[in-house]
Amino acid sequence: MSNPATVASPRTVANKSEKPALLGAIRMALEIESPAVRHNTQAFNSGRYLATAAIPDYDRLKDQARATKEAAIARLPELLATLEASVKGNGGNFFLAKTGEEAARYITKVCTDHQARLVVKGKSMTSEEVHLNLHLEAAGIEVAETDLAEFILQIADEQPSHLIGPAIHYSRERITALFKKRFQTDLPLDTGEELTRFAREMLRQKFLNADAGISGANFITADTGSIVLVESEGNIRLTSQLPPLHIAIAGVEKVLPKREDLAPFIELIAPSATGQGLASYTSVLTPPMQAAPALSDSPVQREFHLVLVDNGRLQMREDPVLHEALYCIRCGACLNSCANFQTVGGHAFGGETYSGGIGGSWEAGTRGLLNARFSELCTGCSRCVMQCPVRIDIPWLNSNLRERINECDLEKSGSILEKAAAAQFHAKAPLPKIFFGRYDLFGKWGSRLAPLSNWINNLPITRALMERLVGVDRRRQLPPFASTTLSSAARRLSPSKASSCRGKAALFPDIFTNYGSPERGLAAIEVLRSVGIDLVLTEVSADGRASLSQGLIKTAQQQAQRTSELLLKYIREGREIIVVEPSALAMLRLDYRRFLPHDVFEEIRAHSFEAVEYLWRILQERQLNAADFFSAFRHPLGTRLFYHSHCQQKTIGAAAPTEEMLRAVGFDVATSGVECCGMAGSFGYKKDFYDLSMGVGEDLFNQVRATEAEGERRTLVATGTSCQEQLHAGLQRKVFHPMELLAAIRATAEI
Amino acid sequence: MSSISSPVRQDLLLQFEAAARSAAASIERVPYSAESLAAAVKRIATGRIAIAETLDLPPDLFADLRKLPGLVRGRSKEELAACDVGVTEAFAGVARTGSVCVAVDHDYSGAISLLARMHVAVLSAETITERPGDLFNPRYLHGKTLQRNFVFITGPSATADMGPLVRGVHGPHQLHIIILE
Repeated sequence: MSNPATVASPRTVANKSEKPALLGAIRMALEIESPAVRHNTQAFNSGRYLATAAIPDYDRLKDQARATKEAAIARLPELLATLEASVKGNGGNFFLAKTGEEAARYITKVCTDHQARLVVKGKSMTSEEVHLNLHLEAAGIEVAETDLAEFILQIADEQPSHLIGPAIHYSRERITALFKKRFQTDLPLDTGEELTRFAREMLRQKFLNADAGISGANFITADTGSIVLVESEGNIRLTSQLPPLHIAIAGVEKVLPKREDLAPFIELIAPSATGQGLASYTSVLTPPMQAAPALSDSPVQREFHLVLVDNGRLQMREDPVLHEALYCIRCGACLNSCANFQTVGGHAFGGETYSGGIGGSWEAGTRGLLNARFSELCTGCSRCVMQCPVRIDIPWLNSNLRERINECDLEKSGSILEKAAAAQFHAKAPLPKIFFGRYDLFGKWGSRLAPLSNWINNLPITRALMERLVGVDRRRQLPPFASTTLSSAARRLSPSKASSCRGKAALFPDIFTNYGSPERGLAAIEVLRSVGIDLVLTEVSADGRASLSQGLIKTAQQQAQRTSELLLKYIREGREIIVVEPSALAMLRLDYRRFLPHDVFEEIRAHSFEAVEYLWRILQERQLNAADFFSAFRHPLGTRLFYHSHCQQKTIGAAAPTEEMLRAVGFDVATSGVECCGMAGSFGYKKDFYDLSMGVGEDLFNQVRATEAEGERRTLVATGTSCQEQLHAGLQRKVFHPMELLAAIRATAEI
Repeated sequence: MSSISSPVRQDLLLQFEAAARSAAASIERVPYSAESLAAAVKRIATGRIAIAETLDLPPDLFADLRKLPGLVRGRSKEELAACDVGVTEAFAGVARTGSVCVAVDHDYSGAISLLARMHVAVLSAETITERPGDLFNPRYLHGKTLQRNFVFITGPSATADMGPLVRGVHGPHQLHIIILE
């Protein structure tokens, strides 16, 4: 950790287009904001799991929302024309701003034309994006942010750290200190109630005296010119309905074709955002409100302006990748389900306005590519993918941003050495990206030269050089290269000798297992053959995970192509594909849809299994009792386990079978509740992210400690290689793969 | 899915009550009459009371309410903001979320349901539908057009921005739902 004197303020690290600013922001967030961010995001996260589980047709709603958004963005120009006619037909005003500047100027002019002196505002990220407050204040207009989180930020002069909870980085204690410093008051401000009452009284006066109200809009419907405003506090209702003038500002992507289309979105947004069925207030308005006269003695017609902001969005719409970000409904589910975000929040994992996994695409689209540099904090762990109510593939967006930023960086600041390396590897990326992205090549040579390569690797001079050249943190122990790879070790095993064939499979030696930890693969072979699986090994092939994670998309594409051709041979022989490393399996089951023709992808997806998942499936299908084959009581370390499943393994639904299997054979299994261990493949090895990675890991380590505090020590078990490394680094204990446990407790006689 | 004029489905009613309570609303069932309604409001409401006109319910139903002590007739925002209790009709209820739907552009219902510390929402049992999305379905609306300006209200106003969850922010501290049977 750095010393506090060097800790930056959130405002100074808002722009993270240069790497040092990003690293400064991570330090600042870890020093100051991490505890509050962790507490608040994890509360949102568990709330969301509960609330979405309570929706019986959750998946159908997501499909419906996704389809509506796809159609709406495809038809956007036409919808904008319809919307303009609807708003004008209702008696409102419509303005489409090409740039943020134009939007801010228009709104300021409307306010000054009304001689507005005081404007109340509801929370609006779009207004932050266009720096609306600066424009209004420059025109001498007082702006009162009325959302309590925005109220805090306005006092603190900070940018939002979360799409829906902009001040989640503030603990109650820090808010008290801030208010006491800012306001001369004798009132007590030591509880949430007292702080809220204080702000309410102050803002009530603002509402009653405001000349105009400015809100955002969560959804807009073209056919009726209606807007939806979702909130908990009531400030947006007051903002939009109390003053005689209401201005709503929103991005053009918020437009939906019809008011009927709102149904799935209204049912999804609050559960996904805050874990509520609905937020306290979900207003569906068609302004200007005609029936209600203004709340004054003489009825006055209320005035309404809808200001839609382009500011790069229509260009995003043309982008083959980034257009997907326009489907975002800004619920924040991807932020809350992200282990890195939970640890540092949006002041580090975010740009000037937009934050988290989805934020990179938004900052790139509205402010420029390099403002998305923080998206490097997306490790591709994929936990957000199933949480997104419109099914945005956020890791894919970030891999693409990484590819573009890599090219930019190499162009701008790559050394001669880096440019030579890039040419050598046919990848326009800086050296560290190539190093981590081409583990297949380094692993191959490392294994060939082991143990010499391991000895060299661990020399202080090598570590220092590697830290400098490719950014591997010297505090991390690099996984040693195996001197005997899985594929060569397996050749020495005797083939399957079970008399009854219970299934035909081929084990795909992923590069991590093959070059790094062949013992996991050997255990899997031994276990599967022992239950009567006719198991062969496929050739080694880089599956593309390592390159994809570094933004080497073209390389990943070629590797996916080669690997799929290899695997299809075995599938067409009637064999299922077994993969030991979950991140490699997730390529086959999830990411290959980006790289392969649909039917090829579907064929591979349907025939690929995690090793224990396959074992459990065979036992279930054949109605065999797992306990006849394996018995936990034979394990020398006892029956108590702590099992941590891999992030991508959870996403593809391959985690539960391991838990069921381990329990079925008699283990007492405690499981981790974290989204990701923090190592996330190569992420935690990088010097730039070591502290963050260990910060994320702290949650996992603490869960192990807490579980063991209630009883005896537990054997640590993890399916992912990097999870294994992370647990080992944090707790200094041996960590087993589930197959290693099963190999140790299998019945000796054939069943 | 029920519709605005269908008979009361008891399962929806029970689900609505449970969901509304878990959203921190208080709730009671009252016989469908002006006297019973006035008596129910009188039991819980003290101080200055603002009452909006009915929307779908017959106007007579609110007649006795207007005889309650503390009735506020003024409609300036200052007068409404000084009220302790605001009574409005809710034209629909949502069983899954325990929400009530209020037409905010109907006779100051928006301000009356928002500015006082307690909002009393009067809901007719047969308007309870299963889920929020039903409101946008023509089948539920049963020939009526959906309100142009309305709000789903789910519990009292709340925030977690100041640290712990606090109920009662810019809107009511308490939401009391009276279901007319």
